[in-house]
Amino acid sequence: MLAYVVRRLWQFVPTMIGVVLLVFFLFSWVGGDPAYLLAGKVSNPEQIENIRRQLGVDQPYTAQLWIFVKQIASGDFGASWSTNEKVSEILATRLGPSLTVLVPLLVISTILAMAAAMLVAYVRASITDRAIMIGCTVGQSISILVYIIVSQYVLAYQFGWFPVQGWGNDFSENLLRYSVLPVIVGVIVSLAPDVRLYRSFFLEEMHQDYVRTARAKGLSETRVMWVHVLRNAAIPIVTNVMIQLPGLLVGAFLIERFFSIPGIGREVILAVERSDFPVLKAVTVYVAIATMIVNLVADLLYKAIDPRVELE
Amino acid sequence: MSAQAAAFAAGAHAGSRGLWMLAWLRFCRDRVGLVSLIVVAAYFAVVAASGMGWIADEWSKEVGVSYAPPGAMGPDASSAAPAGAAPQARAEVAQDDSGIADPIAGEIAEIRKGLAGISPSETRAATLPFGGDKWGRDVLQKAVKGTQTSVLVGLAAALLAAFLGTLFGAQAGYHGGWVDDFFNWFYSVFTSIPYLLLILAIAAVLNQKGTGTVILILGLTGWTGIFRLVRAEYMKHKVREYVRAADVIGASDARRMFAHILPNVSHVVLVQLSLHVVLFIKSEVVLSFLGFGVGVDTVSWGSMLNEAQNELILGKWWQLAAATAAMAVLVTAFSLLTDALRDALDPRIK
Amino acid sequence: MTSSGESTVLLAVRDLAIDFRIDRKTTLTAVRGVSFDIPCRGTVALVGESGSGKSATALAILGLLPEETATVRPGSRIFYADRNLLEITPRELRALRGTGISMVFQEPMSSLNPVFSVGFQLGEVLTKRLRVPARRARARAIELLREVGIPQPESRIGAYPYELSGGQQQRVMIAMAIACEPKLLIADEPTTGLDTTVQKQILELIAGLQRRRQMSMLFITHDLALVAEIADHVVVMRDGEIREQGTVRQIFETPRDPYTRALLACRPPLARRPRRLPVIDDFPRRPPAGVLDVPERSRGLLGNEEIVLEVRHLAKSFRLRDGLFRKREFKAVKDASFKLARGKTLGLVGESGSGKTTLGLLLVRLHKASSGEALFEGKDLLSMPPKTAMNYKRRIQIVFQNPYASLNPRFTVGQILIEPMKIHAIGAGDQERRVLACDLLEKVGLPQASFGRYPHEFSGGQRQRIAIARCLTMKPEVLICDESVSALDVSVQAQLLNLLQDLQDEYRMSYIFISHDLCVVRYMADEVAVMCEGEIVEAGDSDEIYSNPRHPYTKTLLSSIPRAWRS
Repeated sequence: MLAYVVRRLWQFVPTMIGVVLLVFFLFSWVGGDPAYLLAGKVSNPEQIENIRRQLGVDQPYTAQLWIFVKQIASGDFGASWSTNEKVSEILATRLGPSLTVLVPLLVISTILAMAAAMLVAYVRASITDRAIMIGCTVGQSISILVYIIVSQYVLAYQFGWFPVQGWGNDFSENLLRYSVLPVIVGVIVSLAPDVRLYRSFFLEEMHQDYVRTARAKGLSETRVMWVHVLRNAAIPIVTNVMIQLPGLLVGAFLIERFFSIPGIGREVILAVERSDFPVLKAVTVYVAIATMIVNLVADLLYKAIDPRVELE
Repeated sequence: MSAQAAAFAAGAHAGSRGLWMLAWLRFCRDRVGLVSLIVVAAYFAVVAASGMGWIADEWSKEVGVSYAPPGAMGPDASSAAPAGAAPQARAEVAQDDSGIADPIAGEIAEIRKGLAGISPSETRAATLPFGGDKWGRDVLQKAVKGTQTSVLVGLAAALLAAFLGTLFGAQAGYHGGWVDDFFNWFYSVFTSIPYLLLILAIAAVLNQKGTGTVILILGLTGWTGIFRLVRAEYMKHKVREYVRAADVIGASDARRMFAHILPNVSHVVLVQLSLHVVLFIKSEVVLSFLGFGVGVDTVSWGSMLNEAQNELILGKWWQLAAATAAMAVLVTAFSLLTDALRDALDPRIK
Repeated sequence: MTSSGESTVLLAVRDLAIDFRIDRKTTLTAVRGVSFDIPCRGTVALVGESGSGKSATALAILGLLPEETATVRPGSRIFYADRNLLEITPRELRALRGTGISMVFQEPMSSLNPVFSVGFQLGEVLTKRLRVPARRARARAIELLREVGIPQPESRIGAYPYELSGGQQQRVMIAMAIACEPKLLIADEPTTGLDTTVQKQILELIAGLQRRRQMSMLFITHDLALVAEIADHVVVMRDGEIREQGTVRQIFETPRDPYTRALLACRPPLARRPRRLPVIDDFPRRPPAGVLDVPERSRGLLGNEEIVLEVRHLAKSFRLRDGLFRKREFKAVKDASFKLARGKTLGLVGESGSGKTTLGLLLVRLHKASSGEALFEGKDLLSMPPKTAMNYKRRIQIVFQNPYASLNPRFTVGQILIEPMKIHAIGAGDQERRVLACDLLEKVGLPQASFGRYPHEFSGGQRQRIAIARCLTMKPEVLICDESVSALDVSVQAQLLNLLQDLQDEYRMSYIFISHDLCVVRYMADEVAVMCEGEIVEAGDSDEIYSNPRHPYTKTLLSSIPRAWRS
C-alpha cells in the first residue's frame, strides 16, 4: 500500500510539470501582452512600459517561467491585477463560503439521488420508472441558468421565502439563511443526471449472478437490495462523487454569481471578466493539485470498499 | 474449380444483414427513439434554413414596440400607438421635473426615440407572435437564429472533439508502451483542470469572442472523455481473437487498427458524439450568457437568457420562455435519441 | 418413467413449459412440456446440450427465472410436498429456498458476491435462515467449510471470493447450499469450466454429501459421462423436450432414442479409434445396423517421417510488477522441445495454466519468445525480422478456441476469406479469389450462400468451419488447433473432428492439437506431449502414453477421466 502511494505521488511530478507548462503557455504566451488591457485607453508608451515592468512581462519567457515556478512553490502569486489584494488572501477567504454551500449540496444531493435511483431501479420497467426517467431527461434539458433565474424570481422575489441573494458574516446565519436557496437549486440541478447514472449502476448490479445466488439462499428482497446490491453499487457511486469533487468547486460558480456568494467560483468569473491573470493562474494550479490529491484519495477509498482491486 | 462454385460466386449477397442494419431495425422499433429522431431532424432543418437565410434573417430589425407582448396576450396598455408618442413623451418628461419645465425636453425625447430606432413615421407592431425584447426585436426570430448558433456550435465542437479523441485514443490503446504513456500524460494534464475552469481560462486569455473561438475552445478541451473510452475499447479489442487472427494471417498494424477494430468501436464513438453535442450546447449557452461566448452581434440562447434575466423583474417573461422552450425541446429530444441509439447499438437488458 | 409410488417421490414436474421473450416480437419456447420425477434420496441427472432447456427447468423449480423475460405457461405444475410450487405465495417460496430445496450454480466466481467475505456469505445463511446466533454461526460455518474440503477453514473464512481458486469457490457454494440441510440439492453444471482433476474432486464431494445427508439431487450437465458416476436416473433433453429417461443402466446399455445413442457414440472413445466419429445425423429413427463398426485408424510414428517443425528449448516469461520497484517473473513456458512430423498430429495436453496455449501462440509469433528456437525448413521462425516472417506466415496458421470471438463481426464471410488472399497475393483477381473462397466453403461443409452472410448468423460449429476455411486459403503446412473444439457441443465436436481429419488426409497438413480433453487428444494425435506448469513432463507415442503413463502427473490426469468413457 505504501509502495502504491509513493508511486502515485511520484507520478504527480510529470503531470504537475505539464499543468504548469500548460498554464504558463496559456497565460503568458497566448494571453499575450496584458499591459494594453490594463492600461485602458491610455496609450502612453512610457506608462505601458512601466506596467510591463511591474508585471514582469518584459523579461524573456524562461525567466517568467522560473518566476512562476517560484510563485507556486511559495504560494505567493502576487497581487490581483484589478483589486490589488494579495491573491493568496483572496483564495483563502473565498474558500469558506464556497464550502458552506458545496458540502451540504454534495451530501444532500448524493443521498437523495441514491435513494431515488434505488427505488426506480427496483420498480424498473414500470410506469413509475418510465415517468421518472422522462422527468429526469426533461429536467436535465433545462439550462441551470433557467433554474436559477426562475427560482430566484418565484421563490425569493415573489414569495419572499428566501433572500434573493447575499451573504452574511456569521457562519450559522450563512448556513441556515443564505445557503438554503442556492443549495436547493444546486440539488435540483444535479438530481436528474445523478439519478439516471446511479440507476444504471443499480440495474447493472441487479442483473449479476450473485443476486440470483442470494435469492436462492432464501434471503428477503429487502436484504438482497439493501445489503448485497447496494454494497456493490456503492463502488461506482463513490468513485463518481470523488471524481466530481474538484469540478464542483469551480462549477458552482454560476450559483455563486447569481446569489452573490463570495466564493471561489464567483472570484473566477470576476477574474475572467477583468482579465485578472494572477488570480486565474493561482486558482488553476491549486485546483489541479487538489484534483490529483482527490484522485489519489479516491483510488485508496476504492481499494477500501472493493476488495478485488489490487493496487500494484 | 467447380462450375457450381463459379456460378454462386457471381451471385453472393442474398438479403443478409450486417450489424449496422440490425441496429437500425432495432432502433426503428423504439417509438420514443423515432420521435426524437424526427424532432432532432426538424431542428436541423430549421438550422439549415436559417443558415441559408431563408428564415429569421431579419431578426435584428426592431419591428415591434419595446417589450411587445406575445400575440395571444394582446397589446400592452403602456405602449400606445406610435402616432401619439412624441407629444406624450414630451408631456411626460416635462412632468417628471419637480415643476420646472425643461426647455429642451422635446428635443431630448426625439433623440432618445431616434436612438431607440423609432422614427415617428414608422409604425411598429403592438404585439409579436412570441413577443418582443427590449428593443422590439421579434423573439421568435431570435429564438430561431439562436437555435442555429447553439446547434452549429454544439455539432462542430462535438465533431472536433470526437475526431481528436478517437485519433488519440486509437493510437494510445493500440500501440501501448511509450505512445500510451505520452497520451496518458497529456490526458491527465488536461483533466487535472476542471472542464469549466479550463474553458473560462482559455476564454479569458483569448479575450476574443466569436462562434469560431467557442467551437475551438469546446472542441480542444472536450476530447478527454472520448479519448478514455476509445483507448479502453482499443485495448480490449487488440487482444480479441479476431484481431490476433488478422495478425497471424499477416495484416499490417494500420490495417488492424482501421479496417478491423475501428468499425467495431465506431458505435461507441457515435453515442459519445451525441452526448457531447448536448454537453457542448449547454456549455455554449453558459459561456454566451456570461459574455464569453459568441460575439455581440450574434444571438444565441445564452444571450437571450442574459437579457431575460433583467426582463423578468419587469414581468416580461416571453424571451425566457422562448429560449428555455427551444433549448429544452432540443436537448430532451437529443438525450432520448442518444438513449435509443445506445440501446439499438448495444442491446442489453433494460 | 420410473416412479414407484407417490410417497417416495420428492419432487414431481408435470408439463412444464417456459417461454422467453427475446424482444417485442420474438418469443422463444425454451421448454415444451417436460415431466419427470425426483425420488427421495435419489439422484436424477438432467442431460442435454446447450439450448436444451435444462437450466431453465432447474431455475423454474426455485422460481429463479428472470422475471422480465421468462414466463411459465399455465398448466405447468411442480409438486413438492403436496404443493404446487408455481402457485404458492412468494413468501412461502422464499421459505422453501435453502431449507427445502437449494441450488449450486455453474460459475462460482460470478455467483459469489465479490465484496463480502466467504464467512459473511456463509454465515448469512445460518443467521438469517436458521436464526443461529452469530458466534455459533461462525463455528458452524467453519465446520461446513471443513466438510466441503477447504483446507485450514479457520483462516480461509475471512477470505474474499477472488482469493480462492475455482474449485474452492465451488466448494464454498456447496457449503452455502447444504448449510440448512435441504432435502433436494440442484446442481447446475457445477463442474463445467473447472480443471479435469478438480472436476473429479468436486463430483466426489457432492456424491459423498448426498449419501451422508440422504439428500435428493438433480444434477444438470451436458456430459453424459459424468452421469454414470453419480446418478440413478437419467433424463435426456433436446430442444426443450425430453427425448428419453430411465435408469443409468437402461440409458447406457439399451438406449432407444436416436439422440441418446448419438450422444453416447459421438464422444471419441478411449479404447478404440474409429476412422470417423459418428455424428447425430448418422442415427435415423430406426436402430441402425453397424454404424459403429467402422474400421479403426492406426496412429503413431514409424520414425522415418520428414520433420516439418522442430522446436528447441522454447521458453517464455512474463514480467509482472511486484511492489515498488521489483518485477516478478512468471514462467509460462519452460524449456519446451519437440519435433513435428509432416502429415501427423502432435497432441498437447494439460490443464489451465499449464502453458499449452502460450506455446501455441509463441509458434505463430503472437508472443515474443524469451529464448529458444522453432526451426522450419532449417530457419528459426522466432528470430526472423517481421518482413521475412511474412513469407512464412502463410505456412503456419492457428484456429482459436472461441468461435464467437475469432471472426470480425463486421466482416462478411466473403471478406474474411478474401482478406488473407489479398495480403499474400493468392489468386489473380477478385473474381478468381471469390471462386477459391466458395470452393473452400464447400470443402468445409458450408452452403455457398454463406459468402455474403455475417458471422452472427452462424452457430459455433459453423463459425469454426469458417475459421478453418480462412486458414486453408493460405494452404498452410502446419495448423495449430488451440482448443478449437472445446467450446462446442459433443455432437458438433464430432463433426469438426471428422472435418479436421479429412483435411489432414487431403492436404497432408501437420497438426499441433492443443486440448485439455484427454479423449479427444487420444483420438486425434499420433504423438502426445503432457504439459504441467510450463514444462513438458512426458512425451511419446499416444497409444503408449495412454496405456503406460510414467510420470505421476500423467497418471493423475488419466485417472480423472470419467469411468464411462474408459471401457
